[in-house]
Amino acid sequence: MSAFGSALDENPFYVLGLSPDASRIELEREAQKLLGMLELGFAGATTYATPLGPRTRTPELVRAAVAALRDPYRRLVAELWARHAPPATLESTPTAAPAEATQPGLRRRLGWSP
Amino acid sequence: MADTPLYVGIDLGTTNSAAAVFDGERVSVIRNTQGATVTPSVVRIDKQGRITVGTRARRFLEQDTPNTAAEFKRLMGTGKAIEFPAAGVAKKPEELSAEVLKALKQDITDQLGVTVERAVISVPALFELPQSAATSEAARLAGFSRVELLQEPIASALAAGWRADDDGGGTWLVFDLGGGTFDASLLETRDGLLRVVGHDGDNFLGGRDFDWAITEHLAAQLPVVPRRNTPEHGPALRALRLAAEEAKIELSRGERAQVTLAQPLSLEGEEIDVDLEVTRATVESLCAPLVDRAIEVCLRLLSAHGLGPGRLAKIVLVGGPTVMPLVRQRVAARLEAPVAEGHDPMTLVAQGAALYAATASLDGRAASVAVPAGRQVWLQYPAVSADLTPHVVGKFVGDHPPATLRLVRSDGGWSSPEVSIAPDGTFLTTVTLLPRRACTFQLEARATSGELVAVTPASLTIVQGLTIGDPPLSRTLGVALASNHVQVYLERGAPLPARRTFTHHTVETVAKGSSESVLKIPIVQGEMTRADLCRLVGTLDIGGDAVKDTVPTGSAVEVTIELDRGGRLSARALIPSIGQVFEHVAHLLVPDAAPAALDAALGELRRQLMDLRSDAFRHGLSQVIERLDRVEARLAEAERDIDAAHGGDADAAQRARRALLDVDATMAEADLARKWPELEDQARQTAISASSMVGMYGTEAEGALLQEVLAAMEKARRDKDAAELERQLRLAQRLSSAAFNRTSEAWELYFEDAASEISRTRDLPRAHALVTEGKSALERGDTEELRRVVKALWQLLPEDSEARKKGFDSGVR
Repeated sequence: MSAFGSALDENPFYVLGLSPDASRIELEREAQKLLGMLELGFAGATTYATPLGPRTRTPELVRAAVAALRDPYRRLVAELWARHAPPATLESTPTAAPAEATQPGLRRRLGWSP
Repeated sequence: MADTPLYVGIDLGTTNSAAAVFDGERVSVIRNTQGATVTPSVVRIDKQGRITVGTRARRFLEQDTPNTAAEFKRLMGTGKAIEFPAAGVAKKPEELSAEVLKALKQDITDQLGVTVERAVISVPALFELPQSAATSEAARLAGFSRVELLQEPIASALAAGWRADDDGGGTWLVFDLGGGTFDASLLETRDGLLRVVGHDGDNFLGGRDFDWAITEHLAAQLPVVPRRNTPEHGPALRALRLAAEEAKIELSRGERAQVTLAQPLSLEGEEIDVDLEVTRATVESLCAPLVDRAIEVCLRLLSAHGLGPGRLAKIVLVGGPTVMPLVRQRVAARLEAPVAEGHDPMTLVAQGAALYAATASLDGRAASVAVPAGRQVWLQYPAVSADLTPHVVGKFVGDHPPATLRLVRSDGGWSSPEVSIAPDGTFLTTVTLLPRRACTFQLEARATSGELVAVTPASLTIVQGLTIGDPPLSRTLGVALASNHVQVYLERGAPLPARRTFTHHTVETVAKGSSESVLKIPIVQGEMTRADLCRLVGTLDIGGDAVKDTVPTGSAVEVTIELDRGGRLSARALIPSIGQVFEHVAHLLVPDAAPAALDAALGELRRQLMDLRSDAFRHGLSQVIERLDRVEARLAEAERDIDAAHGGDADAAQRARRALLDVDATMAEADLARKWPELEDQARQTAISASSMVGMYGTEAEGALLQEVLAAMEKARRDKDAAELERQLRLAQRLSSAAFNRTSEAWELYFEDAASEISRTRDLPRAHALVTEGKSALERGDTEELRRVVKALWQLLPEDSEARKKGFDSGVR
């Protein structure tokens, strides 16, 4: 799983449609509302906006988002990404990190010992 | 009671079980037919096949040992049947657990006159998936139509925190010493929300260790000393152990206890009368090292979160063994925090499970077949809410819904404004709750004409109180790859239910029609990056005889792993090239633990331990030496269990198997620490390389994150924490890669590297063709195409066969 590939697409604040200043109770309230709306098939609840364009919202994403934001450290990271959103890029799908996918020879050449 | 939901919680314990119900206002512990709040998890089957459960069965543990089973929870998920020779039947552990559940279910009906079929059942925090699956199966066999599983520490935390007046709360600790496991959970309550800050535990420490310590002390005083590795001594040891347990309980109050057995013990042809005295001081000196071991776990947990003794607001004690004054005194003294009063350590878990059932909207009552009166509406709202103004979302079924809706609180103190109902029947509103109360709201729907419209359900109830989020996954779950690495699907702590899909590629061909050709997708659980150090919990097998067409090497396989709220696993593999889906997860059993295999594993681990120890001394790595000391103590315990396994104790065999796996993982970490100088050097190089990559190609956010990672690396380096340093190092590499991958140079370099390795590929013609395509893309400057080619080339490179064997023969990368 690429922690950074999903930092924007699945940023908890975008998933919940809230600003990084939202209070803890606002996050919980919004998540509960969205889960209910998704369960009942509210049309407006199924997509959310990101700097990379609209993405599909699922109950799993909402649960993961609210769980992430309950953890102070993970919230801080999510805030950081949400506040410093990079410009949109052509990269629309996350790529595998070469640290996992490439061969040892290459890793050595990149300065990473095998 | 009929209109009020009834939430049911069950603590299905190793030694004792309990049930509790919550009606939205009050939690009540259920009493069994003997009037007790706990029911021993003991089942007896007599020669007529009659089943007895609880206290009545427990009485036969000594008199009719072969036909009376206890502690079968430890064998859940192993598939091992327990024989009842008198009746000539064998029952699986889940079938025996089902008998306990049936008894508790009946007690609820007897006490409340309500039939229940939905409940929350607690399980140990570190239960493996097969054990959880067996628990769900036990519930099904007991007639429950739906259950959710909840980790025991969360249950006790919820119960302990439910009526907490101090919402400012601070951090507190749940010290849960059960029959066979110890769990320590660090919690925080804020804004009515309970958060598990951290968790640690010892899966091999519990009240039974106390009992064994006392048993061994008693046994040593007999003229013939019964031994655990001698099957013939089993009945004598069991009798002594029961007496030891009773003496321990008696000594919670008195200073001395007499251990007298009604029947003489038969040992080596001798009849031995047992009449011994044991004092509280003796029992405390025998148990103190075990209590200290639990306290060490707590200190480790506190330290992992930057806390020391004296920083806790309170400690909540859970589990039978914590009734011992020794535990209470020692824990309070060493952790320098007060022990919370007013909680029943024996039923707290069941109470928490009942509260959680409310959080999960799991009304326990059997569904009545009611004919809907009026317009039907589907409602979504939290059954328990920390928020005083939660949302209510709804949708009317069918065309032409009513025009407006109002919610009226039944105490008459509040009603919502009228909300419009959309043409598709949907609406959204909020309600206002009373603090710490269950509030019922009537639904008042009106047609456009203003006439009242009858709706079903006519009301909804929300309890205001402490809530906890979705249950977190206790161990990281992933797929073992052919490289013996793990592709993590769901991280530890991920909220359940959860589902995740990744695309893998096959590393060998699955030939259509060949029964020998099987693609294995092993599903593993654990925190290690090496697959062989994690536990195999299931395998998706795709056989040649099941595929519609041959699946060549490098084919894509989309694997989806799903866990429901109760932690039940399902997995699915889709092979797009042949449009086929495979869903059957095989071998969902805890592996068998044969004593001979355990002996061999123990021997091997001892050899490794010696090597690691001498290396650690040579390099002066004090932290590693400390860790290896712990390993040595664990190995000594495992050895005792293996001894008992030779004597036919299947439970001890399982304990030993888990202990050896844990030791193996600890040694892998220690081994990592041994390579400290190399690791440190690698960290330095990575820091330079990542700073340069992120500096040149990274975004502002990546730059900020890298600074955090580098700081964490520096801290890990100072602390000489090898595992943490390696983890941070991987994060830095990923950040660096993410930045570097944006450049065209990255893909040129990858291409050059992959092209130089094509002699190793299995499909040389295809590799050559790809290299030609890549060269052409390179000339055109088509980075997108070059990327596709590089990825295709990577798929053709073979995996190391040794690594693949270790990775449970995984057929995917």
